[in-house]
Amino acid sequence: MKKNAWYAVLGLVIALPLVLSGCGNSGNKIVIGAQTYTEPKILAEMYKALIEDRTQVKVDIKPDLASSPVVIDAMKNNDVQMATLYTGEVFNNHFEVKPTKDRQEVLKEAQEGFDKHFGFKWFDPLGFENTYAFTVRKEVADQNHLKNISDVKDLAKTMKLGVDTTWLERENDGYPAFQKAYGIQFGQTFPMEIGLVYEAVANKKVDIVLAYSTDPRLKQYNLQTLKDDKQFFPPYDASPVIRKDVLEKHPEVGEAIGQLVGKIDAQTMTDLNYQVDVEKKSEKEVARGFLKKIGLLE
Amino acid sequence: MVQAELSIPYVDFLKDRYPDILRAAGEHLAISGISVAIGCLVAIPTGIFLARRRIPWLQSVIFAIANIFQTIPSLALLALLIPLFGIGTKPAVFALFLYSLLPILRNTYAGFQSVDPSVLESARGMGYSAAQRLLQIQLPLAFPYMMSGIRVTTVYVISWATLATLIGGGGLGDLIFSGLGVNKKELIFTGAASAIILALLADLLLGRIERRVTRRAGSNQEPSFTS
Repeated sequence: MKKNAWYAVLGLVIALPLVLSGCGNSGNKIVIGAQTYTEPKILAEMYKALIEDRTQVKVDIKPDLASSPVVIDAMKNNDVQMATLYTGEVFNNHFEVKPTKDRQEVLKEAQEGFDKHFGFKWFDPLGFENTYAFTVRKEVADQNHLKNISDVKDLAKTMKLGVDTTWLERENDGYPAFQKAYGIQFGQTFPMEIGLVYEAVANKKVDIVLAYSTDPRLKQYNLQTLKDDKQFFPPYDASPVIRKDVLEKHPEVGEAIGQLVGKIDAQTMTDLNYQVDVEKKSEKEVARGFLKKIGLLE
Repeated sequence: MVQAELSIPYVDFLKDRYPDILRAAGEHLAISGISVAIGCLVAIPTGIFLARRRIPWLQSVIFAIANIFQTIPSLALLALLIPLFGIGTKPAVFALFLYSLLPILRNTYAGFQSVDPSVLESARGMGYSAAQRLLQIQLPLAFPYMMSGIRVTTVYVISWATLATLIGGGGLGDLIFSGLGVNKKELIFTGAASAIILALLADLLLGRIERRVTRRAGSNQEPSFTS
């Protein structure tokens, strides 16, 4: 009895450090974080494929982090080392920024700000933007001649609006600022997990939603996006972002990721999202298929 | 000193946002209250029925079903209900109602089981009708058990109702998830703290009601326990 107890303790003492050393960022492994929607998950699989193909570094992916700020917190804590972020994120309470809507300026703020404050390298854009898009059913757009967001002004009081969980709170480009810019107020607002807004508007549970512009379900459900005629939303160009200390240790990772800069336009990204969300292929399959197609993977 | 630095902006935050906080708390209370109330309406009669009829296979089936509802992860259950109820408060209330069943059912059943059969026999002997036995003997004796189940359920439901926001159901989850999304920790904290306060107040209130009712019944009940 006593002997068994000793063996158990011994086993634990040997096993525990091995287990613990597996956690955290040891040696040749990096973790990529991804938000809850499909797009950053596909991109994470692309980064993983490129890194593992071209370097000795191993990659794990941690998907379904609740929001971009959660991803950034995880990177700050070194729980993940890399992610996809969108330039408009600079306005989300991370540090002081210049209020500007100019695409190049916002990119500059993002690259400089995240470097200076958190030690992240914000790569140049992948080539597409995933921004907020007010969306209605096509019949509703046709019936009421809705082309621009401003066209909704008179209808808005009678409309139910579906949004993601953060938009009502966002300072720079959220509902309060929107009301000021457009003078539009909606009858009722329903925050929810972003994946649900497409069905919600298609099935008439709500009348108008704030969708993400590269979501394939816009096409699948025959939805119509409205033009941001007052240019209210900031740019949301997507880039890989990685901790600089990881880059210093493994510069080859930076080279591998750099291959993707400028290679993905909005239509392409939407098609890739479509293959996962609608055709139900896996993110990994779609990511690798794309890389092979553009000759970045054997 | 850090405490003073943190508390003043937080007080300003509360002053600014209290309409939103109260609205969210009100929605939260409504969703939770309705779910538990409907849960009681279904689970208590079912528990009484099972305790009195003693049909073993029926008992197993009903308990198994209630058990399954309880173990389905909350978010999965909410998502599964969307095709049936759409989004908003309806699927949230229904999901929480399903969660509320097992504790209330189990405790009602246990309460009625705990009544000494010889007490019922003597009552029958003294000429008590079935209804009188139910109302004057079984219900008062089972009451502490039932209340315990209701209190436990209420605290669970108030906590789980924070997920209602993900399907457009509103409630304090709005504060928590939007705070998560825009990196405003005071929102997360306020949402969570409010839910905790609601749960504690509900438990306190139910405890008071329990004591009031048992005192009025005139019986010398043992102090109730929480399971």
